Parts: sequence; structure tokens; C-alpha cells
Amino acid sequence: MLEEINHLALIGSLVQQMCVYLVVAYLLSKTPLFAPLMQVTVRLPDKLVCYLVFSGFCIMGTYLGFQIEDAIANTRAIGAVLGGILGGPVVGLAVGLTGGIHRYSMGGFTASACAVSTTVEGLIGGLFHFYLLRRHRADRLLSPLFALGATMLAEMTQMLIILAMARPFDHAARLVAHIALPMIVANSIGAGLFMRLILDRRETLEKYSIAFSAKALRIAERSVGVLMQGFNVDNCTRLAKIIREETGVGAVAITDCEKLLGFVGTGADHHIPGTPISSPHTFYAIKNNEVVYADGVDIVYSCAVSKDCKLGSCLVIPLRGEENRVIGTIKLYEPKTKFFSSLNRTLGEGIARLLSNQVLAGKIEEQKRLLAQSEIKLLQAQINPHFLFNALNTLAAVIRRDPEAARQLVLYLSTFFRKSLKRLGNEASLEDEIEHVNAYLQIELARFADRLEVVMAIPDEFMHLRLPAFSLQPIVENAIKYGISQMIEPGRITISAQRTDGVLSIFVEDSAGLYQPAAERNGLGMSLVDRRIKIRYGAAYGIDVACEPETYTRVAIRVPVEEELVPC
Amino acid sequence: MLTALIVDDEAPSREELKALLGEAPDVEVIGECANAIEGLSAIHRLRPDVVFLDIQMPRISGLEMVGMIEPSALPHIVFVTAYDQHALKAFEEHAADYLVKPVDPERLAKTLDWLRSGARPSTKAFPGADSRLQQIPCIGRNRIFLVALDEVEYVYTDICGVNVVASERQGVTELTLKLLQERTPLVRCHRQYLVNLDRVAEIELLENGAAEIITQSSKRVPVSRRHLRELKDRLLIV
Repeated sequence: MLEEINHLALIGSLVQQMCVYLVVAYLLSKTPLFAPLMQVTVRLPDKLVCYLVFSGFCIMGTYLGFQIEDAIANTRAIGAVLGGILGGPVVGLAVGLTGGIHRYSMGGFTASACAVSTTVEGLIGGLFHFYLLRRHRADRLLSPLFALGATMLAEMTQMLIILAMARPFDHAARLVAHIALPMIVANSIGAGLFMRLILDRRETLEKYSIAFSAKALRIAERSVGVLMQGFNVDNCTRLAKIIREETGVGAVAITDCEKLLGFVGTGADHHIPGTPISSPHTFYAIKNNEVVYADGVDIVYSCAVSKDCKLGSCLVIPLRGEENRVIGTIKLYEPKTKFFSSLNRTLGEGIARLLSNQVLAGKIEEQKRLLAQSEIKLLQAQINPHFLFNALNTLAAVIRRDPEAARQLVLYLSTFFRKSLKRLGNEASLEDEIEHVNAYLQIELARFADRLEVVMAIPDEFMHLRLPAFSLQPIVENAIKYGISQMIEPGRITISAQRTDGVLSIFVEDSAGLYQPAAERNGLGMSLVDRRIKIRYGAAYGIDVACEPETYTRVAIRVPVEEELVPC
Repeated sequence: MLTALIVDDEAPSREELKALLGEAPDVEVIGECANAIEGLSAIHRLRPDVVFLDIQMPRISGLEMVGMIEPSALPHIVFVTAYDQHALKAFEEHAADYLVKPVDPERLAKTLDWLRSGARPSTKAFPGADSRLQQIPCIGRNRIFLVALDEVEYVYTDICGVNVVASERQGVTELTLKLLQERTPLVRCHRQYLVNLDRVAEIELLENGAAEIITQSSKRVPVSRRHLRELKDRLLIV
């Protein structure tokens, strides 16, 4: 019977065996069990999974093998070696031992030799793992060629062990002569293919996650800042459009807790933004702060607005604001003819998180803006008592000398107060600002008499340009308070403006040059004005100070030119 | 007859006060100054009975200025301020006299009555009067400037007055050597010299028991035998 054993036939049946084996491996690779195998980890649960999976393969290898000369030609080695390569020496040893004990229980004259050799094979895989990690070549662990080589070495070792341990020796020698080559070839190729399988699986996953990240990043990139400008119909419609374009779903809707804010895609004819929410799924998602997925099969989705609606499935994800409270929902739809891709389902939740953050950030921005606004209001309302009493004192003197000039001063004073107190709205024309500053400076001119000179050099064509109200006066007041009034010699204030590349710069220069950058005293007003401009127009605008000590301090206020349509 | 000096940087303010004082027959305004440096000079020169002193003035406030007046020349000080809550509180605590702008003639009359009663001026009555100086007002090359104390190398007297020497510049001050010694960390090293110990580079001992200080900008300052020991002690301790 022995003579009948044909090497080629043996290789053929072992290859068949290997194919069955690989099909099982392929099927298994589609399950989550495979995930820990695809990366080299040191986590105990992952190691455990590795042990269990490869022990299973080891045992399966034995069962799939066939009896030959009271021994078993098999593909057991693949499980043991790969277990060792992927899981390390300990896992390899454990897999080998498990497979070995299992083999031992099957009996035969090579039972104990096979038990020992399988354990050694596992250990060999483990040592390869150890060696590669030591050499910092962990990337090679998943190399199919490497697995092939390791298995080949392991199988040769097995043959030697059989020769050494199995008795009677001549029986063992005959067996080895017959099965050595087929087993070494089949097992090595099998291990290499198995590894290739793992590698392919990993690459597919990577491709998937790359595609996923790319999509998510593109959506993030395109939608950034949209909701920060407000959670309203305009912005939500824009955003829904972006999301639909990027995900390719049938339709996208964004709602707040009461009404639809944006709808783009199939069914847009009857899902009208601004109308109240009607879908029970949305109500449920809002009420329970939960993701609702109506796949149209298990959970029926039918449009609550129109019976003719083509949409057949729907994913509703709550948008969460402060303290995780629901502030609205984002809904992805697919038409009845199409299935929801799992990519889009996962992406949907990511998008919801992104949007939630945006809405939150927008709220914070809004609050910052309001705060800056109210601080300015406070500054406006808080008429500097120094200024007030000094003005009155000046007035007392001027009344004595020149009642007509005093009358004029009273008018300037009332203009100044009126402008300070009754400034409604956020914006003013430069002309308004100059009028305010002028009233202020007229009083200071009377107060400082020959110690102050004012040069006003703003071209008329800038007068209609707009800037945040109450931006100029605090800067001029600073120039007087920390500049001119601290000068022993006479000083000069020059107010000028220029326009370049859509930026209006207004310069307030004093001839004192006493600005101290670090000093808090340089004016709360100035930093408030700066902050308000930056919040409104961005960090590129605001206030710059240039100072040449004892010579000048020049403050530049920069705002973008927003042309106002002035009727001619 | 009361002689009065007005120190205020605002012309209308001086004008108004002068007009109000002019209504009192026994008050003569003998001078007007627009800043603390002019004010110090005028006080030392004119020796007025009373100074109406504005608090908010360029570079040296009225409060700082009081600390620069030679105690023996200290006149009555009446502070005048438009609005300064902190100063007003301090005045109340020290029972110092003050007027608020715009000045109420009746309130001014009371102040004048009190001055006529012959109360003696006292440094103690003024907040900040004996506080340490941060800067020394100087006149040099036709301009007025302030020298920060840590910039000063030494100060000496000669027939021109009190000279302040800094590494880069030099000027004459109204402040006396005695006042500077009391209100600044400058140390007496000679009858006519004060030196800033932080600016000493080396001390050269001379054969006669005296010494010379060489400052960081290589200027030489004499040290008399009398002050050498004390100086050595200070340098070891400080």
C-alpha cells in the first residue's frame, strides 16, 4: 500500500485540504474576530483572540488531514506557526501545545512526536515574531513570504522530530520520506496564502477607512464655519447641500427642535424649510436624544408629508448643544429604490457631531460678540468723570472771559454727550465718528489752550465709510489722557486716514510718544475697541500701535471697507 | 497779606482760580506755573505762603511734587482737583486741605479763613509727602526732563546748584541734596556728593585715607574719609 503513495497525489490532496482550510479562513476574515489579527497588538484580549482563532485552525488542520501509514498528513502547522508569528512566543507556544495535545489524543505511532513538534512549530513562529520585534521590523510580520519561510523551517523541524521520536525508526523514516516534501510544500504555501489573506483584508479595511476619512474631512472642510454664522434656514440649506453632494444620499434635512430648517434632494418639493416637523422618527430622536434608523424594512419609514414621496429609509441623528441637550436633528434619506450604505450611516453620526460643535462654537462666538458689545456700551455710558469735571471747570473760566465762546463750548459738550449716550446700532459712518471726536477735541482744546494742537486730515471721500460705532473716540481720548496731558511742552494730535486694498486705516498720532505696551493703563477703551473689531471682522483687523519714545505714538485702526450704497 | 502760587497745567483753570483769589483783598497771586518742575523752582525762589496745587499734571503729579519740596521751604499746600476719588479719600484721612474744580467761591473763602488763622504747614499733613521719589526732575540744555532714579549715577552740588549725573545725560535739579538723601536710595559719600551704589563699578583707595568711586560709565566720584567707612559697610551689607 505504501508503494501506492504517490508524491504528486499526496501534494494534490494536501493542496485540496489547504483550499478548504483557506476558504474557512476567508470566511472568518469577514468577521470581527479577525480585527485583532490584523495588527500586532500587546493587549491581552487581542492575544486571547489570536490564541483561540489559531488553535481552531490548528485543530481544523488535523481534522482535515488524512490517515497515512498510521499517521496524519495535515496542514496543522499553518495555525501553529501563524499563531506564533502574529501573537508572539507565548501565544505560539500555547497554540502549538493546544494543537499538539489535540493531535496526541488522536493516537497513532507519531502521536507524541507530532504533539511535541506542533508545540515546537508554534514556538518557532513565536521566535520569529520576537526576532522581528527586536530588529524593529514589525512591518515584516505580515509578509506572506516570511510566513512561508517560517513554516518551511517549522515543517523541516517537525520531520526531524518525527525521525527522532517516533518508533520504530524505520517506520518513521519511511513515513518521513513520503510525506516530508508534500507537507513542507503544502504547509508553506498555505501559510503564505493565509498571510496574504490577512494582508488583503487589512488593505481593504484601510481603503475603506481612507475613503471614509477623506469623505468626512471633505465635509468638515466644506462646512466649516457655516453654522457658526447662525443655526437658520439659509445656513442649514447650504449645509444640507454640501452633505448631500459629499455623501450622495437621496436627500438631507436639518431641523431644529420644531421645524425643518433645510432640505435638499429627492422630495424637496413637499419638504419645505420652515414647516413644522411631522416625522414621528424625528420626534422620537429629539425626545429621547437617540439616533433613529428607519431602514424601511424592519422599521417602516413613510413620509409624513406626502404619500407620493419617493424616500424609503431615513437616518435621524440628534444634534447636541450645551450639556448634551438636543438642539435639532440631521436626517439622511435614501429613496425606496436604494439601500442605506453603512458608510453613510457611520458618516452621518460624525457629521452630526461636527455640526453640533459648530453650532456650539457659533453660540460662543455670538456670546463673545454680545459681551464685547455690552462692554463698549458700558464704556460709552460711563462718561469719564475726569473729563466731565475738567470740562465744567474750563467752562467756568471761559464764561468769565468770553461768554460767546462758552456758549459754543456748551454746544460741543452737549453734542459729545448726546453722541456718547444715544448711539444706537453697531455701525456708524466715519463722519459720525469724526463729529463725535471733534466735539470732544473742541473741549480739550479749550482746556489745554496753547498746549494742544489738532490736525484733522481725513479726506471727504472716506466720510461715508462705515466702522463699528464708538471706535475712534476712545483712541483719541487715550491720546490726550496718556499722551498730550502728560507733556510738559505743547503737543499735537493728528488724525488721518488712508485706504489701501479694501482696508480703511485711521491713524491717531500724538507727539508725546509715551505709550507703554505692557501698561494696563494704556486704556481699557483701546483693547475693547480692538477686540470688538477683531470679533467682527477677523484677526487681520483691529488696532496697531507704533511708538517712537518721546517723539510720537501712532495708533492705527484698521477695518475692511464695506461700501455702503449711498444714493447719489 | 497772603502770597499765593498757582500750579496747574491747564491755563483756564489757573485763570479761573486767579480771578477768584483776586476777589479777596488780602491775597496776592505772586506766580503761576504750568507744571511741577516750574512749581518747585518758583516755591524755592518766591517762598509763597500758600500753593494751590493741581494734582493731575504732566509727568509729576501734585502729590509727587509735594515730596520734592525742601521741608524748610514748605508752604501751605491746598490741593485742587477735578475728580480724583483716591486722592480725596487720602486728603480726608490726613485732614489736608483741598478744593474741587470748578472751585466754589464760598469753599475757597473758608480755606482762606483757615490760612489767615495762621495754622502751620506740616509735611505730615500730606499724603505721599514723605514717600520715596521715583524720578528726579531736571533742567538741562533748555529743556525739562525726568531722570529715573536707577539711571542716576551720582548727584553733586556746585555753584550752579544740584547737578544730577546719569550715564547719558546731566541736568540741574531744584531738589536739595538733603532731600534727595532722605527720599531716595542715593548714599552720601562726600559733603557735596551722593552716589547710587547700584552704579558703582569700583572704589579706588587713595593714600590719604580717602577714596574715589568709579561709576559704571567711568565717571569719578570723590569719597571723603568721613564717609568711606560707612560706604564700605553699606557695600558689604547691601
